[in-house]
Amino acid sequence: MLATTLDIYLVGVGGQGILTIAELITKAAEAKGISANFFPTKGMAQRGGFVKAQLKLGHNEVGPDIRPGGADLIIAMELSESLKALRFLKQDGDCIIYGYNWQPTEVMLGKAPYPTVEQVKEEVTKAGGHVTYLPPENMPEGVADNIYLLAAAVKHTCLGKFFTAEEIQEAIISRWPQGAERNMASFEAGMGAL
Amino acid sequence: MVMKYLSGNEAVAQAALAAGAKVIAGYPGTPSSEAIGSIWNKDIAGVHVEWSTNEKVALEIAGAASWANQRALCTMKMSGLNVAYDSLISFVYSGGLGGFVIYVCDDPGVAAGMPEQDVRGFAFMSDMPVLEPCSVAESYSMTLYAFELSEAIGGPVMLRSVTNVAQSHAIVDIPAKRPIAERPLLLEKDIAKYTKAGAIICMNQHRDLIKRLEAAEEKIGADGLHQLKLGKKEGLGIISVGVINSFIEEAMGLAANQGIDTKDFSFLRLAGSNPLPKKEISKLIEHCGALVVLEENEDYIERCAYLEAYKAAKIMPITGKQNGVLSRIGNFNAVTILKALYQAVDQELPPQFISYEGAEALCAARPIGVCAGCPHRGVYIGINQAVRKLGYKKDEVMVTGDIGCTILGMSPPFHTLWTEIAMGASIPMALGYHYAGIKTPVIATIGDSTFMHGGMPGLLNAVQNQVDITVVIMDNGWTAMTGMQVNAGTDLAFQQSNSTKQADIAKIVQGLGVTQLFIVDPYDLPLMTQTLINAIPLAGIKVILARRECAIQTGRRKIRYGKSIVLEDKCTKCKVCINTTGCPSIVFDGERVFVDAGQCNGCGICNSLCKFGALVKEG
Repeated sequence: MLATTLDIYLVGVGGQGILTIAELITKAAEAKGISANFFPTKGMAQRGGFVKAQLKLGHNEVGPDIRPGGADLIIAMELSESLKALRFLKQDGDCIIYGYNWQPTEVMLGKAPYPTVEQVKEEVTKAGGHVTYLPPENMPEGVADNIYLLAAAVKHTCLGKFFTAEEIQEAIISRWPQGAERNMASFEAGMGAL
Repeated sequence: MVMKYLSGNEAVAQAALAAGAKVIAGYPGTPSSEAIGSIWNKDIAGVHVEWSTNEKVALEIAGAASWANQRALCTMKMSGLNVAYDSLISFVYSGGLGGFVIYVCDDPGVAAGMPEQDVRGFAFMSDMPVLEPCSVAESYSMTLYAFELSEAIGGPVMLRSVTNVAQSHAIVDIPAKRPIAERPLLLEKDIAKYTKAGAIICMNQHRDLIKRLEAAEEKIGADGLHQLKLGKKEGLGIISVGVINSFIEEAMGLAANQGIDTKDFSFLRLAGSNPLPKKEISKLIEHCGALVVLEENEDYIERCAYLEAYKAAKIMPITGKQNGVLSRIGNFNAVTILKALYQAVDQELPPQFISYEGAEALCAARPIGVCAGCPHRGVYIGINQAVRKLGYKKDEVMVTGDIGCTILGMSPPFHTLWTEIAMGASIPMALGYHYAGIKTPVIATIGDSTFMHGGMPGLLNAVQNQVDITVVIMDNGWTAMTGMQVNAGTDLAFQQSNSTKQADIAKIVQGLGVTQLFIVDPYDLPLMTQTLINAIPLAGIKVILARRECAIQTGRRKIRYGKSIVLEDKCTKCKVCINTTGCPSIVFDGERVFVDAGQCNGCGICNSLCKFGALVKEG
């Protein structure tokens, strides 16, 4: 049976476009007549701070927060920040990570540690989830990384059981009719990412 | 019905317009800002919308408009109500004419900073009804109802939201617009109602106030806002209020899947905490054998339940905060509800509701930083340099901080600021340290909007007593941290079309009697530092006005001040530039230091810091 609800926890760093991914999924839900509650938390970040969003789709009545262990899917745009979402992942849930490193100054100066890809993958396993990892070095030049990640999520995670690629593409095109060509190229790249 | 995609904040603003509000005033504050933000500068016919100087001013404007028999809305974050409360309590005691709704957002779980307070306490103190929407849809419908209730009882009504409702976005069914009858303008002269002149007037107002709250209790009861659903006799009763209402279905679904007989439970879903729903709670107490009370932060409803149980002479287990199961700290989710529920039915919480929490420990720390090109950076570095050059150690010189982006000087790499209390508090606090006997220099820092909001009285106090402190006003032209709202000092080009005068902080400061005023561009770091070195030792009150527009705003208008580059032949990779500025546009990739051209706006603050001359403006 197809799931009727989908709860998505999204994390990243201000300026990456993680909230845009959530908005596009919300738009796709809207077009399908699926109820959606989208709760972004920007905190004090202008750029470079932790950003998260909680998206709950298909519920009759819905509280804005995803409970610990309640997310069907985690979409992370920054390697280290993905760790902040893991306690919200459901057993057997999906976790897709675009492994970009947005290093805080202390990390850049070698004064503070930063998790490795292997560490993060291991943590997803400990949390009982399935990881899909997108190495940033594989992303083609000129591609919008958030669209790339969104497309990969449709292809490789439970997001694809809820929406077809076409439905997400339509949301992207209706959001930016002007930039459709570049965005569709980014989407295609994401579909073929792995 | 029309379907509309709105945030909780926008829903409140849209409903206020639909309800015919004529005056909408507030002060920015996360998480409430988008209420006014979404309707500001839209030239809505017949409606005055404004960002006021502070929350107290906003409340007084909106309150008086309601006394002229018009509907009015006032918006703020919880800290703002602390500022406005002096006036609010007097308005509530007087009562009013036109519907008057005060929209306040609490922040349980603290997404944005400041005390994790519960503004319902203010509603109890002033016997003021408070409605608490649990969703975006209820943010709309309860705003409409709040105006109706306000007029029905003849007094203000508080609409209390929380971060996750105010900031949520959802599709909302908007009822078709009904024509709103124009309310006649009234000038009602009634000393006994509108003044506080003498004991008789004040005590009569207190009596009438209590009657209004009783009227509110009757109306809310008659309109069926609280929903009571009785289950099995002597079974478990669950009381919830506000955003918790929206988590009940999810939590009960999870519990039912685990074999808990949730259909036996009784539920009381409250639309608000004041007037305390005593009747509904006593019905539940009479029917049930045990209670769970679910409310974030303070335990007002729960204490009411204890009292009603006592009055009914019924001893029953009540699960909540008083028995230590739930916390007064933080916000709730479905698992919080399950914890209380399993405790109440005396069963262990099933392991699938306990999630793995170890991952976050590996996460890189990401301290709140200052944007590339932020003019405040020049002030923090300038203060640090001046303190050192004047022969003091950093921990010998008190630098008080204020609220807003200017407080980011507390963060690494600056560590410049020591305190954060409230809007405008930095200047009086500097006076306090001085009067306490601190002999080393005391410096106060404050932003432009904060200065106008609450800083002026403190500065006047300092002028009156000619105290030896230095005040740095960091004027970036915007109320920035809350998402770039205008204030009285913002350039007229960005104001609403009806704004006709731009306030000049230099003139305000001089008008308050400050004679030692220094105006400096914080992008000119050597001058910034030298100005501080010159000013700090002078006797009396000194004000340094560090003036430069917010880099986010100039960036949005594509303004650049050239571009800084690293001359690789001169760079020794000492990284003093990174360690001193923390600028996100200066990057060390393990091999070389370079400037990320995409982020650098050419502020030039870093240039003078490189003693090898390796950081220069291009061209």
